[in-house]
Amino acid sequence: MNVTSAGVGASPPKRANNSTWKDLAAANGSVVSIALFFIVVCVVFSLVTGSFLTTPNLLNIVRQSAPLLIVAAAMTFVITTGGIDLSVGSVLALTATLSAVALQAGLPWPLVVVGMLALGAAIGALQGFFIAYERIPAFIVTLAGLSVIRGVALLITGGYSIPVEPTSFFVNIGRAWFLGVPVPALLALVVLAIAYLAFNQTPFGRYVTGIGANAEAVRRAGVDTRFMTLFVYVLSGMAAASAGVILAARLGSGSSNSGQGFELDVIAAVVLGGTSLFGGRGTIIGTVLGALTVAVIGNGLILAHMSPFLTPIVTGTIILVAIWLNFRLFKGATRSR
Amino acid sequence: MMSDGETCRVRMTGISKRYGPIQTLDDVSLNLKPGEVLGLVGDNGAGKSTLSKVLSGAVIPDSGTIEIDGKAVSFSSPADARAARVEMVYQDLSLCDTVDVAGNLFLGREPRRHVLGVPFLDNRRMHEQTREMLDRLGIVIADTRLKVENLSGGQRQSIAIGRAASFDPSVLIMDEPTAALAVAEVEAVLELIRAVSARGVSVILITHRLQDLFLVCDRIQVMYEGRNVAERRIGDTSIEEVVNLIVGRKFIARSARASRDEGAQP
Repeated sequence: MNVTSAGVGASPPKRANNSTWKDLAAANGSVVSIALFFIVVCVVFSLVTGSFLTTPNLLNIVRQSAPLLIVAAAMTFVITTGGIDLSVGSVLALTATLSAVALQAGLPWPLVVVGMLALGAAIGALQGFFIAYERIPAFIVTLAGLSVIRGVALLITGGYSIPVEPTSFFVNIGRAWFLGVPVPALLALVVLAIAYLAFNQTPFGRYVTGIGANAEAVRRAGVDTRFMTLFVYVLSGMAAASAGVILAARLGSGSSNSGQGFELDVIAAVVLGGTSLFGGRGTIIGTVLGALTVAVIGNGLILAHMSPFLTPIVTGTIILVAIWLNFRLFKGATRSR
Repeated sequence: MMSDGETCRVRMTGISKRYGPIQTLDDVSLNLKPGEVLGLVGDNGAGKSTLSKVLSGAVIPDSGTIEIDGKAVSFSSPADARAARVEMVYQDLSLCDTVDVAGNLFLGREPRRHVLGVPFLDNRRMHEQTREMLDRLGIVIADTRLKVENLSGGQRQSIAIGRAASFDPSVLIMDEPTAALAVAEVEAVLELIRAVSARGVSVILITHRLQDLFLVCDRIQVMYEGRNVAERRIGDTSIEEVVNLIVGRKFIARSARASRDEGAQP
């Protein structure tokens, strides 16, 4: 036995060492390339505009991108299971309008916040039920959700935006500063820290990755894969609801038209960060960098007095180029079997 | 170990299974002693896989009895078989490519540590235990943090077998574990099978690679069109005889009936 394993041992370790390097490149390559993109974008805007690299502007960016960061963190879980959630923009709009409506009706703000999170969770659970237990593709279920939920928001408001009383404590969620940092940014930071730990250090995160890689193996290992799958949609629903609350608080109104195309920004941020749309591969760090890149491009183009309509063009181009580079540079590592 | 006592780990008798007009298994028996490696061979469609699925609970036979350690059992699902400590190795159904070696070995039963009641992965313990497990079974893998997708076919197969073996099974069924492996890797997998059986696990090895049988098996059982046709101690037979047992009869029987098959012979 020893003889043979020693004899065989001569060749596999070489291969193993080789693949260690490849593995590192594959694991971190996508994060490295989005980090480079992020730095390049920041440097370019710092040089082109004087006001980009100033503390108020940077804090403004994190404040504005808090909803994006929060929802992108949850979306990383969804996409890593091999799913997608297209309904987050609509959930954001619905919760933003409903929280304004509820505050107008005189409900206390903590109840409103908890209620909105519960609503987001319930919407996510409903969609997750159809996806995980009824086996309808996530794209279809959440596409239907995108349409229906936005429709409900429009129906409630008649298309008008509903103001939030500026004296309400509620607006502090979006506007207050704490220790020199905007509260939404702090909330995003907390959510991201929890998401990072959950994704990398808990059995739940492990099963999310496993479900995306080989759901059957995880099921055979005795894990309730259907509940896990349902649960990631609960997370994305809750994240979208909290984003809706933050947005309504920051803007001081709830509009049924807010968050149009928000789901695409979120998915772009996640994919740009290196999470695979095919599932099984995800990274929270990459998602943070991806979301910040999307946010910085939007901010920088405005500061550079360029047309804001350039933003989607530049964002789209960068997504394609970044992922193309990933494919080219790390193809061998990610596609080897 | 090969004493003819009553210590049968597995005793399957009179197993039959019919799918429509096809009698897949016809009064098949199988005996297996503790720590024994049994090679199950036969041509495609001979019923080897169906027989192993009966034992692993994935197929319910029409008739016949199964005894494990002398106790009659009836499996209605793979979970039942698992509870009776019968494990089947499915390579492609048991590994997550983008999860590391330790994660795959411990999938579903990760060591945990609780911080404020929240379960976290105990990565250090998991990697230590993985290293121990790999060393004990003689599986050569440089780093337990490697993702399984970056391993060779033989290493992947070894992980799948190691995972099944770690459930402390009394019977391990392997269907073509050495198919499509490089020569040196076949050796490593066979070595692993020997290491597992030396720990008292009974192994059923289904393979088309007859030379493998002579390296690891104690006994060979040949199946033909859903029936047992022969059983040989490995020392009492040769590759030629096994080939004849698998193919020979079919040769004669078919060519005597249909000229169409004769045309396909050469």
